[in-house]
Amino acid sequence: MSQTRRLRIAAVLTEYRKYSHGQHIVDRFLEGYGWNGRHHRPPMDIVSLYVDQHPEGDLTDERGLRFPQMQVMPTIADALTLGGNDLAVDGVLLVGEHGKYHRNEKGQHQYPRYEMFKQITSVYRTTGKTAPVFNDKHLSWNWDWAREMVDISRELDFPFMAGSSLPVTWRTPSLEMPTGSQIEEAMCVCYGGVDSYDFHGLETAQCMVERRAGGEAGVRWVETYKGERFWQAHHERLWSRELFEACLCRSHTLSQARPGFNDAFPTIDDMMKLVETPIAYHYEHVDGLRTTMIMMNGLVQDFNFAAQLADDQQLSTQMYLPMPPKNTSLANFFTPQVANVEQMFLSGEATYPIERTLMTTGLTAAAVDSLFEEEKRIETPHLEEVTYAAPTQSTYWRT
Amino acid sequence: MRRQPNPRTGARERWPFTDLAGDQRHVPHAPVNRPKRLAIVATVYRHLSHAQHFCDRFLVGYPYEGRWNMPNTQVVSMYVDQRPAGDQSHDRAREFGFDVYPTVAETLRCGGDKLAVDGILLIGEHGDYPTNELGQILYPRYELFKECVEVFEADGRSVPIYNDKHLSYSFAKAQEMVADGERLGFPLLAGSSLPVTYRLPDLELPYGCQIEEAVMLGVGGSDAMDYHALEAMQCMIERRAGSETGVAAVQMLEGDDVWRAAEEGRWSARLVEAALSRSDSPQGLSKEDGRTQDLLGSGELRRLVEKPAAYLIEFRDGLRATLLMINGAIGDYNFAAKLRGVDDPVSCQFFLTPVPNVTYSACFVAKIDEMFQTGVAPFPAQRTMIVNGILESCLQSRQQGSKRLETPHLEVGYTAPEASHYGRA
Repeated sequence: MSQTRRLRIAAVLTEYRKYSHGQHIVDRFLEGYGWNGRHHRPPMDIVSLYVDQHPEGDLTDERGLRFPQMQVMPTIADALTLGGNDLAVDGVLLVGEHGKYHRNEKGQHQYPRYEMFKQITSVYRTTGKTAPVFNDKHLSWNWDWAREMVDISRELDFPFMAGSSLPVTWRTPSLEMPTGSQIEEAMCVCYGGVDSYDFHGLETAQCMVERRAGGEAGVRWVETYKGERFWQAHHERLWSRELFEACLCRSHTLSQARPGFNDAFPTIDDMMKLVETPIAYHYEHVDGLRTTMIMMNGLVQDFNFAAQLADDQQLSTQMYLPMPPKNTSLANFFTPQVANVEQMFLSGEATYPIERTLMTTGLTAAAVDSLFEEEKRIETPHLEEVTYAAPTQSTYWRT
Repeated sequence: MRRQPNPRTGARERWPFTDLAGDQRHVPHAPVNRPKRLAIVATVYRHLSHAQHFCDRFLVGYPYEGRWNMPNTQVVSMYVDQRPAGDQSHDRAREFGFDVYPTVAETLRCGGDKLAVDGILLIGEHGDYPTNELGQILYPRYELFKECVEVFEADGRSVPIYNDKHLSYSFAKAQEMVADGERLGFPLLAGSSLPVTYRLPDLELPYGCQIEEAVMLGVGGSDAMDYHALEAMQCMIERRAGSETGVAAVQMLEGDDVWRAAEEGRWSARLVEAALSRSDSPQGLSKEDGRTQDLLGSGELRRLVEKPAAYLIEFRDGLRATLLMINGAIGDYNFAAKLRGVDDPVSCQFFLTPVPNVTYSACFVAKIDEMFQTGVAPFPAQRTMIVNGILESCLQSRQQGSKRLETPHLEVGYTAPEASHYGRA
C-alpha cells in the first residue's frame, strides 16, 4: 500500500438515508468531521459506493452528485474493481445496518453482512489482492457465518475490524479499565431490543472486561432472564445489586415513576411499573468471571457499565451516545469509530481485535437462542475458543 | 413472586431496594454525623424549576461518582416568593416533614427567635419578575440574600449560603453579597452548573498555563444563557498564570459587526473552528440530512446565525476572551483556547446532560453539600461575581450602541482552586 497517493476506499451499504449507519459512516469520510479540535478531513477518498436498497429518502444520488469522485456502482464487485478486473481500492467499508430484510422466527434481522462480505472476499480471491475491511456492528446474525468471516480474513490475511461505536465513544466520566485488573463481576445496564441494541450492550461490557488479568478467556454459557424471571433473579441477587445501582447512577436518563420529580432513584416498585419487559443476558467466562447485560427499556436510555474489582474497588461509567434527533443533530459516536477505521486503513492494522466482535456476535446469537428456548442456559463451547488479549492502549474518545 | 406492598410511608423510607420481601434494607453510605439543617429560600418551587432540580436532591439524594448519594442534610424550612400554578412547596413540606414560612427570617429561624439552620439554599431562578432596560430579569437574589444577612447580623451567627446562578443582575449588588460573606465570615458558593458538569473531552487547563486567547460558543437567550456560557469560559481561564486580576474593558457587538470583528482579528477563527469541532448539534444541513459540517469553512455559520452577538472581553493582564452567541448554528456550549507553547488549540464541550434529569446539577449539588459539610466553598464566589460584572457591562455596551466600555470596577482579583471540581470521577 503506497502512502504517497491518497487511499481509495469502497463503501458497501444496505442503505444510505438520513441517520442510517451508512450515512453516519460514509458522510464522515466525505464531509469530514470534528476531531481533535479541527474539522478533520480524512486523507483518503471514497471512490465507489454500492447501496443495496433505495428507500424513500435515499441519499445515494445526492451524495454521488456532490462527490463525483465517488462512483455509484451496480454491484459489490464493481465497487471493489471500479468496473475493471483488478482490485482497485485500499479499503472497504461494509455497513449492513438498516434496510428492509427478513426477520426470522427468533427475531433476528437477517442483514446480509455475511453475503456482502463473501462478495468482497470473492473479489479478493479472484484478483489475488486484498484490502482491510471494516464491518459495522456484529459480524452476522448467524454464528457459523461470523466464524467463517473471521477465518476468511485470516486465510487471506487482511486486516478486519468490526463492532459497535460503544467501545470507542465518550465516557462520562472518562475512565478506562486498567489493563490487568482483577474483575470479580461486570455489568452493563442499557436499553434496546433483542438482536439490536443488545449487541451494543454486550460490546460495552466486553471492551472493558477484555482488559482483565489474563485477557479474554472465552465464555462457557449464556442464560437469559426476562420479565418475572428477571425480577426473581434480581431479587435473588444472581447479579450484583451494587453494580446495578452503580449503572443506574451513571445514567443521565433515569425515568421517573413519580410525577413532579426529575431525578429520584427508583424503587423496585417504580422499576416494575416503568419497565414492561426487563431482559438480562447473564454469562460466565471460562476464568469464572460473570458478566450481565441488562436491557431496561422504560428505565434508562443510555449505556452504563460497572465492575466490581478486587480490593473492594468499583469502577463505573457511562458510554455516552450523543443521540439524534432528541439530544443532538449528529450521531457523533460514529466519529471515533470512523477515526479508528481510518487508522486501520492507513496503518494496515486493526486498532482493536476482531475477536471482541466475534465474541459479542456469538453472545448475541446465544442469547437470542436462549430467549427463543424459554430462557434456558445455552452452553457455548464455540465461545470458549474465543480468547484474546486486549490492546493495552485506549481506543475510546478522550481527545 | 410474592411481593409486599410498598408502604410509601415517607421520603426517608423510599430508599432503593427497600420494598421487596425479604430484602435487607439497603442504605448506601449511611450518614454518621448529625445532619446539617438546611433552609430553602426560593423564588418558585415547581416541577423543573431550578429550586426543584437542586433542592429535591437534598430530599431524595442524587447520583454521584457511581452511587446514589444521600447528603447528610435535613431540609427543615422553606420560603417561596411566588406560588404559580404547579407550586410544589407544600407537597414537599408535607412529604418530607418541614414547614413553609411566610418570610425569609422566619424560615431561617424555623419559626423561633434565633437562626436555626446550618446552611441555606438560595434559588432565585424562575418566577414572574420584571425585566430592566438591559434585558435582565430582576430576580430578587440580592434582596433575599440581604434578608438572610440581616438574620445573621441580628442573631450573631452566620451559615453557608449557596446562591444559584449569578449573584445578581447588578455587579454592585453582587459585590456587596460577596463582601457580606467576607465581612461575616460565612462561605458563599454560587454560579452555573456548566463549570462542574462533564466535559467532552475531559479537558482541564494546566494550572498556571499561559493563555493567548479564549473563545466560548453559546446559544440561548440573554441574560440567562450568555451568563452560563461566560461562567463556563471563566472557570477555564481563571487557571492561567498570574491568577485572575480582573477585566479592563468589554464590548458587545451584534449583527455583521460580529463577523467584521473576526476579519479584524478580534476573535480567532481558528479557535472558533476548534470549539465548533466539539459540537454535537450543528443545525441547518445536519438537521436536514444528518451530514457532518464544517460550519465555519463552508460559510454556513454566517448563514445560519441570524442575530450573532460577540462579547469581547479584555482582561487586565492582556488576555482576550470572546463569547459568541450563535443561535441557529448549534445547540451546545463549546470552548477553545490557544495556550502559549502548545501548537494546536485545546477545546471541549461543556456537556449539558439531558432534560429532565439534568444530572449536571447533581455535580453541583455534590459541591454544595461539600460546602455545607466542611464549611469551605470549593471554588470562589468571585468567579461568579466577575462574570456578573462582565455580563452587565457587555449589556450596557450593547445599550450604548456597542461602545467599548472601560471597566475599572472589574478589577477583581482571585485565585482559582488548583483542584478540579467537575464531573471526572
